[in-house]
Amino acid sequence: MTAKPDPLIHPITRLSICGLLAAGADWVEFAALRDAAGISDSVLSKQSRVLEDAGYIEVRKGAVGRRPRTWFRLTPEGRQAVEGHLAWLAQLEEAVSASARDAQLAGPLPDDRDQPRRVLPPVLGSS
Amino acid sequence: MRDAERDLAALEPLELLRAQRARLADRMRPPWWYLTGVAVMYALVFAFPFASRFLGVSIWPFFAAALVVAVPLQWGWTRVTGMKMGFRNLSSPAPGRPARYAVVVVSLGAIVTEPLLIDRGLLVAAVVVAVLAVAAEAALQEVLLRGIRQELRGGGGAA
Repeated sequence: MTAKPDPLIHPITRLSICGLLAAGADWVEFAALRDAAGISDSVLSKQSRVLEDAGYIEVRKGAVGRRPRTWFRLTPEGRQAVEGHLAWLAQLEEAVSASARDAQLAGPLPDDRDQPRRVLPPVLGSS
Repeated sequence: MRDAERDLAALEPLELLRAQRARLADRMRPPWWYLTGVAVMYALVFAFPFASRFLGVSIWPFFAAALVVAVPLQWGWTRVTGMKMGFRNLSSPAPGRPARYAVVVVSLGAIVTEPLLIDRGLLVAAVVVAVLAVAAEAALQEVLLRGIRQELRGGGGAA
């Protein structure tokens, strides 16, 4: 897998949709995806159409009784793009964490002794 | 925008995605009826050696009865969670793999042990084995679901 940013899924809403679909479920239903992503019905509809047109997700529509049900899943192409984009973000996170650790270990520079220190905050969830 | 601030801004989506995955994983907490249904299904399976020995019933009615419980159970579970997880076999590397092995071991152990105990007249012991096996399978189902929640939180194969 190549770690590289994907401009199509870089916007946060599309990244959320693709990242949730890549989490491990085969198919995720519209309401579950909307609630987990914390977005509105209209935003999910609009962004999912963009992703479907790009061939990143597959949409299956059905009904339970009279209630329509829409299911989403990633295509192999979409999965590859998401994994590459997330790997790129993970590399970035690692780099930022490493620079924060280095800054803490180095301590204040002699010229900066009287200046307030500016250290990057630790990234949540990183070990 | 300074480089460090830009880098941190780029990380916000990763944090948000972790929180969203945790919300998705929380949907996989089983309601009472799901584990009860699983217990009923396994009770039917482990009752087969008794029915076969004392009533002369073949395996097919039990197989059909277990399916009658399993299919609506799975349908309801999919509807409640809003997710179709797909089948995970013994070789799937996802979390919960030891529990999948344990399900097979407990099932085979109970199905083999029960007829042996019944043949030796140890009916109470056979019933105890069946009851323990049902309880173990229900507990293992909970462990399997915990593994799925862990998988969803971790992002599956994605970073």
